[in-house]
Amino acid sequence: MNVLTRGVKNAIRSPLKSGAIVLMFAISIALILSMLVARGSVLSKIEEVKATAGTAVTIQPAGVMGNMGGGDPLTAAQIATITSTANVTSISSTLTDQLGTDDTNLTSSLELGSFGQRQQRFESSDTPSTSTEAETSRPAPTPRTSVTGTTDVNSIATDGGDLTITSGEAFDGTSSDNVALVGSDLATKNSLTVGSTFTAYGETITVKGIYTTGNAFQDSGIIMPIATLQALTDQAGAVSSVTAAIDSSDNVASTVTALKSSLGDDADITSEAESAASSVESLQGIANLTTAGVIAAAAAGALIIVLSMFLVVRERRREIGVIKAIGGSNGKVIGQFIIEGLTITIIGAVIGLVLGVLVSGPMTTSLVSSRANSTNTTETTAAGPGGQGGMRMGGPGAAFNQGAAQLTTNLTQVTASLTPQIFAAAVGITLLIALLGSAIPAWLTARIRPAEVLRTE
Amino acid sequence: MLTIENVSKTFSTPGGQVQALKDVSLSVNTGEFVSIIGKSGSGKSTLLSILGALDNPSTGSIVVDDTQINKLSGAKQTQYRAKKIGFVFQQYNLVPNLTALENVMLALEFGGYPAASRFDRATQLLESVGIEEDQRQRRPTRLSGGQQQRVSIARALANQPAYILADEPTGNLDSATGKKIFDLLHALSRSQKTTIIVVTHDLEIAGKTDKTFILKDGKITTK
Repeated sequence: MNVLTRGVKNAIRSPLKSGAIVLMFAISIALILSMLVARGSVLSKIEEVKATAGTAVTIQPAGVMGNMGGGDPLTAAQIATITSTANVTSISSTLTDQLGTDDTNLTSSLELGSFGQRQQRFESSDTPSTSTEAETSRPAPTPRTSVTGTTDVNSIATDGGDLTITSGEAFDGTSSDNVALVGSDLATKNSLTVGSTFTAYGETITVKGIYTTGNAFQDSGIIMPIATLQALTDQAGAVSSVTAAIDSSDNVASTVTALKSSLGDDADITSEAESAASSVESLQGIANLTTAGVIAAAAAGALIIVLSMFLVVRERRREIGVIKAIGGSNGKVIGQFIIEGLTITIIGAVIGLVLGVLVSGPMTTSLVSSRANSTNTTETTAAGPGGQGGMRMGGPGAAFNQGAAQLTTNLTQVTASLTPQIFAAAVGITLLIALLGSAIPAWLTARIRPAEVLRTE
Repeated sequence: MLTIENVSKTFSTPGGQVQALKDVSLSVNTGEFVSIIGKSGSGKSTLLSILGALDNPSTGSIVVDDTQINKLSGAKQTQYRAKKIGFVFQQYNLVPNLTALENVMLALEFGGYPAASRFDRATQLLESVGIEEDQRQRRPTRLSGGQQQRVSIARALANQPAYILADEPTGNLDSATGKKIFDLLHALSRSQKTTIIVVTHDLEIAGKTDKTFILKDGKITTK
């Protein structure tokens, strides 16, 4: 029998007492691990949200929302200003228009419906009128076909990713050829396939590909190179929306400020990052809460071990005195108590880590879902531009709105993941507590004088 | 040879300074069986703890075999206790979660006895003090007072110490068992030339020792 075996044997000499200490310590270790897992998961989700939401900034002429509103399109000079703004890595420009029955031989695949009719009620007279006479004097409204000119066909995708082209291929965004991608619903309605032609603005346009987005409005539209649409509509250089990519999510806020400063009142600038920021705040709150939880659980664990071992040392003063009296050195006594403390903490740590692995998932879910309601509320009110566009909403606004919806999903889908780094951190904290919790009380044994053994006799 | 010269010991207590030993001087020859008697609070245990280097005197010197032990470092005093001194306590003071055999082996470990032969040595010692084979694997709580004191004596003898310091070794035992324990110590003193210093208030025991010192109010007189 040596210091090691004596220490281990002492740790289990009172199974009930040691069991209680082990259990308390295990719970604190389980809490540490759970909080670390929750913290890691939430922080990585924050990063993910920032990364996916952070780099797109949308610039639209002031007063324009989709095809609604008024004002002038962005000019070539303004586009140059945006492009030269610091941290802007690339831009995609769009210009939207609508084809009426006089402009094209295509039949819209959208039913006008009562909503569309109401939107078009002003079209045939200079002033709004609700009189029966005026209504009957106008020709019946007809549904229109949305046309989007863009430098990047993917800006039309509603899921923030690449546009799905079901047949044919994308056009070159910088070209000015009379080519177009046609939405799947419109293509079906007009029996268009790749290579077919149709008439728009008095010109013959060749179908380069068919796309689908799953959005009935988008799938009833046409996409063209922006230069083509500018030429066809006689709006050289005009742009109705620009999406600028920023080099880093950290620079989005400053770039938005710079753009607002340089473009002044001529443009409305919005970014997903800004709307996501408020949502991320609630997750940041959870991350802070879990950090405090880790510290509190670690302190509780350390306190449990220190106090328990302190009591053990106190009630065994005589025994320590005896060991010293018969020739046991301070080193041997300290070593024995450190081993005893470590044995208890290691057993507790193993149980606690297993327990932590089991409860960290549900705990993270519970922590996040309890905050998810406020997150959802924030997201709903923070929907992107274009939300009011109704039937006429189109272009990047739709993508923005879809991106924001994806953000909501991302925010509420914080899944607990126990990475090796988090596990190593938990083990590290545990070992630190174990060493401190064992060494401090053990060190106290050095202060017990061997003469204690003769006292009270 | 053990010599104490002008040893005084003062304790600081909340009630003020308490002088437990006052200018105590005595000497014990090698192989002698000596008793120190006195009433409760006379300073017997304090004197014993100073002799065993469990405590240091406030003034004076303790010389054991030409070494002034009260001037030794803490680590050297531990070595002195491990190798030169064997303690026998009134309340036995065996380590409660170790068996009789392990208690003796513990002292052998501290005395630097080779690990491989500790078991045999401990077994032999327990046998010599009359602990049966089936009692050796018992923990102290499953041994009688007399048996515990025998184990305690075996532990004290483990490293063949030059001195055995016994503090009321029969104080917790009935008279018959006490006599057996005393006879055991007496026999050791004779057979192994071990110097034995017994602190007791039992005058009958004191009467059978080679020399008796009387402690009264911290001062010593030879009987």
